[in-house]
Amino acid sequence: MFNSIIKPSLVLLLVAFAASFSLSHIQKITYPNIIKMEKEKQDLALKLVLPGYRITGSKKAKVEGKEFEYWTAEKEEGGTAGYAFMVAGNGYSGPVESIVGIDDRGTILGMSILKQSETPGLGARCVEVSSKETLFDKLLEKTARNEIYMPWFQKQFSGLNSGEKIRILKKGEWNEGLMESLRKENAVLAITGATVTSVTVTESIKNGHELLKKALASGAEKKEAGK
Amino acid sequence: MNYWNEFTKGIWKKNPILIIGIGMCPTLAVSTSVSNALWMTLAATFVLVCSNILVSLARGITPSHIRIPVFIIIIAAFVTIVELVLKAYQEAVYDALGIFIPLIVVNCIILGRAEEYASKNNVVASTLDGLGMGLGFGFTLTVLAFFREILGANKLFGYTLIPGMEPSSAMILAPGAFFTLAIMLGMMNWINSRK
Amino acid sequence: MEIKVLFTILLTTILINNYVLSQILGLCPFLGVSKKLDSAIGMGLAVIFVMTLASFITFIIYKYVLIPFNIEYLRTITFILVIAALVQLVEMMIEKFSPALYNALGIFLPLITTNCAVLGVAVLNINSGFVTADLGILKSVVQGFGGGVGFTLALLLMAGIRERLELAPIHKNLIGLPITFITAGLMALAFLGFSGMKI
Repeated sequence: MFNSIIKPSLVLLLVAFAASFSLSHIQKITYPNIIKMEKEKQDLALKLVLPGYRITGSKKAKVEGKEFEYWTAEKEEGGTAGYAFMVAGNGYSGPVESIVGIDDRGTILGMSILKQSETPGLGARCVEVSSKETLFDKLLEKTARNEIYMPWFQKQFSGLNSGEKIRILKKGEWNEGLMESLRKENAVLAITGATVTSVTVTESIKNGHELLKKALASGAEKKEAGK
Repeated sequence: MNYWNEFTKGIWKKNPILIIGIGMCPTLAVSTSVSNALWMTLAATFVLVCSNILVSLARGITPSHIRIPVFIIIIAAFVTIVELVLKAYQEAVYDALGIFIPLIVVNCIILGRAEEYASKNNVVASTLDGLGMGLGFGFTLTVLAFFREILGANKLFGYTLIPGMEPSSAMILAPGAFFTLAIMLGMMNWINSRK
Repeated sequence: MEIKVLFTILLTTILINNYVLSQILGLCPFLGVSKKLDSAIGMGLAVIFVMTLASFITFIIYKYVLIPFNIEYLRTITFILVIAALVQLVEMMIEKFSPALYNALGIFLPLITTNCAVLGVAVLNINSGFVTADLGILKSVVQGFGGGVGFTLALLLMAGIRERLELAPIHKNLIGLPITFITAGLMALAFLGFSGMKI
């Protein structure tokens, strides 16, 4: 009895206990840094999607039974309002989370994809930085790389209208020159071979815009009632 | 016992992937870019060496019929350490490797070495065996990633190689992984058959 | 509406995101057990069973034990232990109640613990955000079942091809694993075709 049941159970229990005990210590050491990194990432993203704006508040609202996180902001000169909000859509292989900044007329000021697990080389190119710099330039130290480039797929969203349907065009590789004509059509260039990812992002932005409208409306009502 | 031999056998003569044929999943899935491959090597080798040391230390104490669960707990604990540390200090790597960090637990190389080698040999030999196997795994992974990144993304270490060229995206996806490994295995057979 | 979502998950995991041929999970049993069609069927059934059950149990443990106690970081260690225990339990149950089935599946059951598709689906269920979604438990069970079916599909196709490859004249350096990988690559190329499917 002792040798066949109790002893092995005790040994297993001991090993499991030792493992969880040491893990909890490591978790204690790393946890503050994990939180700090997440906060930094969010602050950086907010600055990126609302250029020239000052964040005035962060709010969490319940819209249609789901949690919706958004920030209110103010233009540093002029005082027009701006908003940033978090959206998520289901991509090709998991959720794609992005943060979007818009002004009071619904024009997108910037968007940044925070989390994605799309296929490398296809969907994952939504966070790819388009640069003309090649490995040879780097090796020969022709160019210095010290500024942060915005991924090309995300850059195309600036200036589009988030209230309307954002169209998706397929015109091959992206370059600066296409920006103007795309903006006129309220469209973005799809990532080659990963239309699903592009659709996910554009649709989640449109949904997010509607949720924001509802959240703001219900917030205003509450204020009225409070008065 | 020749310690040098214990170390080098994992790299070529008993290469876990090319000769023994285990640990295929992370090899194929993570070899999309050289930097991913190198980080994976680092993570897996850390877990392999640490679990080998602990298993070797506990080789007399563990009752033999519950050794597998004990090994699994030890391995999973080290994998969690890797997970937490990467998440806290190298978030980009954590995001890039994604699900394949927790999946190091079921990498057959690690459990295989614990069962086959570390539970029967002393600490020094087990450490060297772990290091050698880790390097052998990393060597294969990096070579695979080198070809796949060049052909599939037109990049190396994240920098574009030939501007304006459209890479073959099938190479970065699953088919490319299978084909590249098939060619490597074929080359390996060819080299070994000429001796 | 929910039925449609569940069906989408099922179809996606079987065809579009096939665990073996597009996510590259569970290769060891895929290569090891695909030599004969009979054993492939046995392995496939065992994997479907364990993956469905594992999705269910790990989801419950994550949502009702790990999250309330704030110990999500113990995810990996808990999941692998649950899967190992589950496989052991299933093995004993089958041996007791259906010796015929046990004789057919017996040798494959212990192998399933180290099948990374099983742990993979458990972790993916959490990463897909099912924990906070409505009907999350049903979605993860469907994802687990679909994953198992997709694995079985790939395994059966491969076993069928490999039985014929035995008789084919192949260059001597490619016999064995290399030609199997080339076959798997061609199959993966074919499965890539599903990725354009709109559902």
